[in-house]
Amino acid sequence: MIRDITIGQYYANTSVVHNMDPRTKLMGVLVYVLTLFLVKNPLLYLVYLGIVFVLYHVSKVPLSFMLKGLKGIIILLIFTFCFRLICTPGNVVAKFWIFQITEEGIIKAISLTSRIALMILGASLLSYTTTPKEMADGLEKALSGLEKFHIPVHDMTVIVMIAFRFIPILLEEINVLMDAQAARGVEFEKCSVLKKCKNVLTLLMPLFMSTVRRSSDLAMAMEARGYSGDKPTSKMYPLVYQKRDRIAYVVLFFFAVLMTSLRICHV
Amino acid sequence: MIKIKDLIHKYTVWESETEKSKKTVLDGISLDIPSGQFVAILGANGSGKSTLAKHLNVLLLPDEGTVWIDGKKTEDRAALWEIREKVGMVFQNPDNQIIGTSVEEDVAFGPENKNLEPNEIQKRVTTSLKEVGLLEKRKASPFRLSGGQKQRVAIAGVLAGLPKCIVLDEPTAMLDPKSRKEVLQVVHELNKQKGITVILITHHTDEVVDADQIIVMDKGHIIKKGTPTEIFQDLELLRSVKMDVPQVTELAQRLYQDGVPLELPVLTEEQFLEQMMKIKNHMEGGIRK
Repeated sequence: MIRDITIGQYYANTSVVHNMDPRTKLMGVLVYVLTLFLVKNPLLYLVYLGIVFVLYHVSKVPLSFMLKGLKGIIILLIFTFCFRLICTPGNVVAKFWIFQITEEGIIKAISLTSRIALMILGASLLSYTTTPKEMADGLEKALSGLEKFHIPVHDMTVIVMIAFRFIPILLEEINVLMDAQAARGVEFEKCSVLKKCKNVLTLLMPLFMSTVRRSSDLAMAMEARGYSGDKPTSKMYPLVYQKRDRIAYVVLFFFAVLMTSLRICHV
Repeated sequence: MIKIKDLIHKYTVWESETEKSKKTVLDGISLDIPSGQFVAILGANGSGKSTLAKHLNVLLLPDEGTVWIDGKKTEDRAALWEIREKVGMVFQNPDNQIIGTSVEEDVAFGPENKNLEPNEIQKRVTTSLKEVGLLEKRKASPFRLSGGQKQRVAIAGVLAGLPKCIVLDEPTAMLDPKSRKEVLQVVHELNKQKGITVILITHHTDEVVDADQIIVMDKGHIIKKGTPTEIFQDLELLRSVKMDVPQVTELAQRLYQDGVPLELPVLTEEQFLEQMMKIKNHMEGGIRK
């Protein structure tokens, strides 16, 4: 149950996409998702599917990972498909009992389902090729302008990074607590859902206590190594745009323009 | 390097919801630690040794008395970051002091806070990891390392700040014997080869036999200072503050009491063997005559 959570789905490899600046990749996903919403003609989704295939190929991520990304939302996809299919008014094609399937329904169902699926495929490529640390660094640098409005972007990044660091430790701790309580007769596996929830609650208090203790230790260790939160800091690997990033930005720009004009021309 | 005079530290203890009282943890500590020494502070739980360590890195400030690090008073707010640069600190629990999600990132944390150039940071990370022998693990996640390796990452993180002195607060308390040896070896090498002052806080007496100076603490007082030979002469004193005595030392003392002419104190197994061989040769010589 709780014992096998994996966080972050980074697929370690070296490729052009892996080496790209995280800011470029974030921008790429943004443009990709936004333009996806501009698409009117369902046939264009095939173009997107082609792009996704090419990108997965270029980043050397195995195609099986594409399916892995979709597996998590399969129920959502099925629901969307079915409801769109039967709940859209228009030219009736088939009819049984109180349901009716319409021409518009079929098109809507297909396009909405593929839109969601394509969105997930594109976004998961970002997490396959970017480590959490890179992602946080990229977001920090991209949002650093907000510091002017007194939004503590740097502090937030530190918080996110520490959270990532502590996830495996806390998972281990939960396992120890579960074992300790199971050894004293608490049932976690074979009982009703209600009972299970109640039993999991007993884990929270000790977990909370130990987290507070850990945080205070960590805060001391950070202070001992010169962290103050308000001094300027530097980076071991600062983010610098390379030639490939500039090329990617140009490509993204033209892609965005193309998709917008297609929409305006009602293609 | 470090000079402490009449240091007193009190903690606030909540007796109940409303009542609080002060508990004196350090009661008039005076110390002088010269540069380049390997100093061990020995004491049972609650003897105040960890509190003392926190004063050396200005994580705590004295209630009374003064601490000077390299001539700078710790109470001086302006000297705070300078002192923390000079004195690095390694704590007991390796999981609670590693900040980065990869080994090199963690080692870079100190230099990054000093706002150094990226090139300089990378150079320091490489040298520090080399010194603790973990260069090939630089991209690994700290979660996948053994306890000893994690503790060495923590040491590397301190080294990247180029400290003059490292304070280790029970760095081996949560480690298995093999990892303990690894960590101690690294610490000894740093002391000998780079001349870094080391202050090792521990309750394992077998870890302190190689120290230049041992300070025994009990209930907030220093009860004895001296070289390992001087400290291990008086096993009764160690036992009275609930310290274990290294097995060899204990064995040698009992043999001595039973009339074996050993030269006390015997601190290591090598010394013990050497002395026993001497006695054996002596006895064989006597029989032949």
